[in-house]
Amino acid sequence: MPLLQVDDLSVRFDTDDGPVHAVDRLSFTLDESEVLGVVGESGCGKSVSLMALTQLLPDTAKIGGSARIGDLDLLSASSSRVRKIRGRTIAYVFQEPMTSLNPSLRIGRQIEEVLQRHLDLSRRAARSRAVELLELVRIPAPQRRVGEYPHQLSGGMRQRVMIAIALACDPKILVADEPTTALDVTIQAGILDLMRDIRARLGTAIVLITHNLGVVADIADRVLVMYAGRKVEEAPVHDLFAAPQHPYTIGLLGAVPRPGSASTAGRLQEIPGRVPSLRELPQACVFADRCPRADDLTRSEQPLLREVRPGHLVACFHPGGAWSS
Amino acid sequence: MSYVDTAAATELSPRARRRRLLRKRFLRRPLAVLGLLVALAFVTMAIFAPALAPYDPTELDVTAILEGPTREHLLGTDELGRDILSRIVYGARASILAGVLATLLAMAIAVPIGVTAGYFRGWLDPIVARVTDVVLAFPFLILAVGLAAILGPSLLNATIALGVGAAPGLIRVARGEALSLREEDYVRAAIANGAGDTSIIGRHVLPNMTNTLIVQATVTIPAAIIGEAVLSFLGLGVQPPTPSWGVMLSAAQPYVNDAPRLALVPGLAIFFCSLSFNLLGDGLRDVLDPRTTR
Amino acid sequence: MVFVTEPVLEVVDLVKHFHVGSQFTGGGGVVHAVDGVSFAIAPGEMLGLVGESGSGKTTVGNCIMRLLEPTAGTIRLNGRDVTHISRRAMRPLRRELHMVFQDPYSSLNPRLTCGQIVAEPLRVQKLARDKRLDERVRELFDDVGLRDELRHRYPHELSGGQRQRVGLARALSVSPSLLIADEPVSALDVSVQASILNLLRDLQSNLKFSCLFITHDLATVEYLCDRVAVMYLGEIVELAATEELFARPQHPYSQALLSAAVVADPEVQRTRRRIVLEGDIPSPLAPPSGCRFRTRCPLERESAPRSTDEEPPLLDVGGGHLVACHLVHAGREAPVLADAPAELA
Repeated sequence: MPLLQVDDLSVRFDTDDGPVHAVDRLSFTLDESEVLGVVGESGCGKSVSLMALTQLLPDTAKIGGSARIGDLDLLSASSSRVRKIRGRTIAYVFQEPMTSLNPSLRIGRQIEEVLQRHLDLSRRAARSRAVELLELVRIPAPQRRVGEYPHQLSGGMRQRVMIAIALACDPKILVADEPTTALDVTIQAGILDLMRDIRARLGTAIVLITHNLGVVADIADRVLVMYAGRKVEEAPVHDLFAAPQHPYTIGLLGAVPRPGSASTAGRLQEIPGRVPSLRELPQACVFADRCPRADDLTRSEQPLLREVRPGHLVACFHPGGAWSS
Repeated sequence: MSYVDTAAATELSPRARRRRLLRKRFLRRPLAVLGLLVALAFVTMAIFAPALAPYDPTELDVTAILEGPTREHLLGTDELGRDILSRIVYGARASILAGVLATLLAMAIAVPIGVTAGYFRGWLDPIVARVTDVVLAFPFLILAVGLAAILGPSLLNATIALGVGAAPGLIRVARGEALSLREEDYVRAAIANGAGDTSIIGRHVLPNMTNTLIVQATVTIPAAIIGEAVLSFLGLGVQPPTPSWGVMLSAAQPYVNDAPRLALVPGLAIFFCSLSFNLLGDGLRDVLDPRTTR
Repeated sequence: MVFVTEPVLEVVDLVKHFHVGSQFTGGGGVVHAVDGVSFAIAPGEMLGLVGESGSGKTTVGNCIMRLLEPTAGTIRLNGRDVTHISRRAMRPLRRELHMVFQDPYSSLNPRLTCGQIVAEPLRVQKLARDKRLDERVRELFDDVGLRDELRHRYPHELSGGQRQRVGLARALSVSPSLLIADEPVSALDVSVQASILNLLRDLQSNLKFSCLFITHDLATVEYLCDRVAVMYLGEIVELAATEELFARPQHPYSQALLSAAVVADPEVQRTRRRIVLEGDIPSPLAPPSGCRFRTRCPLERESAPRSTDEEPPLLDVGGGHLVACHLVHAGREAPVLADAPAELA
């Protein structure tokens, strides 16, 4: 029984210039203690879909489908119910540690707030738990740090504090949206290590949203590739990298130079064209106008997700092989 | 980001397309449109006063003092028998003239000083910044009144006083814009091209400030309009018998109980005129902001 | 390094300090952005300058471009000392070097059309006018792979990748002998990065300009550059030919940096031997004494107490491979802390 089951999640923004279909019938599951990587470039809908789960989107968003945790469907639940879930069962860590923390409150206070609100702990209990949490995220000298302000910490430290806040109520699911993108490379490595550690020690399931395939290769168990609001491929991590099926995935993998072989490799793979406008939901393969394998079929019908290898799903009429075959 | 369809878009030049987009955006804002229309009405009133006013505003008719609204005098007459409507129409001249000219003067003073200080920095900038801060400690109207008193009462002097009084606030805005624009990469690229400072300011800094400046202008005008009314009210601006809404207000004081109309009408004129420019300015600011999505 | 021909760029002991805080109230500090950097670039060569925040790599680029005035040291462009020359004297030299910026959104004046933006350097330098200028702009658009009609568009109508191409066209319009590229693809999507990197590679091999490629992304540097310099807190800690650095990185920081760069291959990424550095990058306001890397160096115990007192000199350990580490010198094996990338493939 998966921890989270999302079925046909759709998000449409009604703007004055017409609708924008940010997410189109996305389905996925998340098991306990699993790390799910959600990969895609800007505008593919990866962040929007995860924010839709706990009603973090503005009113202009129209959400369809279902997202079940246990018996509860998050998408049709009342906002007070969802507010209890948010931060407690599903917690978020975002990209910018600079702006996610309140600059005028001490670190300790910000962690305690969450504890007091969700777990109703006393001030004293909250304070000692806050120190524990800072230790958990490997911040040195936590007793001292607890009294410091965000500006006294570096970017990497602030991100760890964000993670501590997210873990405060021992959530079952941690959604990390580009958690390392704004950080230096050597700091990023530490954060990824920390997330691995958290999963091992606390058993938290992690949804890691990123555009960086290397990050996903580092810690994900399963990977979901999104393009223009649709899921185009899903597979266990080793399978995805060893035998990518969707031309977009193949293109992405070829676009990134590989340390160690970059200078000897041929040209980087380019994906011509641009991401299509999300204003329409074409009855066609969403990748067709950039795909070397496009033909009449892919331009007139939308490919559905099929299992082409065990546990490996792809939405493509001509999957597998190299970029142009 | 919007996906541009090149096929459909080639009929219009980019400038024209942008203008059309801005027009559409503007028209979606009823308050701004209302502001525009009312402001235009006042400006028209000011320009075409002789054609619009039924009477000569300075013509006395002692046989018809303090009359209520009649068919001959739609808004009645004042304490000297002058037609109030005509005085309002002619009064718009003083207000609009003072409002617009004072703002232009303020811009002419503020932009060069502000941009020079903000772009070049150096020794000039701290001086400009501190002096502006000090002057801004005085409320705009107090400054204007003081200056007008020094210069002597006349519409021209009042306009100058208002312009100078409004300048410090605009200096601050211009300086702020120049400070932030000089850090833009395209300014650094211009330096990398070998462009001189004058060329950079003229081609890269000023054009990117126009939106902010336009908005500031439309916000300064109503302040200047009210300023002119205040100065005229105090006798420091327009001199009788030239009509001005402020002078009308001042003269209406003894009659507030018996003929409140004498104060109400010019008061409402001031109110609606400045409000219309305010709404217009608000709308323009919204429309010109690159982040606006509708 | 011995050059047969004159290097396009020579940087000797470049120093740039910034004063922050108010000098009046005595709260001032000094940011040691660049503290003694030396390197040279040969004609047609691409040198990568790699580092994280606080490394000073962007400041080096800005100093070379003379967007900043160096505090000390020498910069020679095609043999000519430009370190402290006036803006006016620098003007004609602006034909010899130009820059591509990181942010595709702020590097183009939103009030000018793309054609005007690309024409600007030629106009300012009076290299072409009227019809010839137009032709040249069209050529440049073609060179960078942009459709001709985009000349009449405004930057906001183009995508990030297209804007970077405009930026490249602008920089190359004067046919500079040196191009400085400061994180030119970091703000772009992955698939778009590939096309810009390919473009840069092609242009460089066709037009043969030298390039200083500033970035934090090692894999990109490996793909494009002939030699690589690794910077940490204002200093160069290692400089070597690309293949050499990726096969035999010697400085502990270089090794850690290479180790931290994730590889898009789970088999490799999860089994490789790595080092993860503890602690934060120190602030350039107060760099550690002696060896600046010692506060995070896994080998600090071995190099102490020398590393606290003495700064390690940048030494040639063989074949033009320069390393600044007390534990590394010619004749001694460098400590290996992690699997080098070249071994992972």
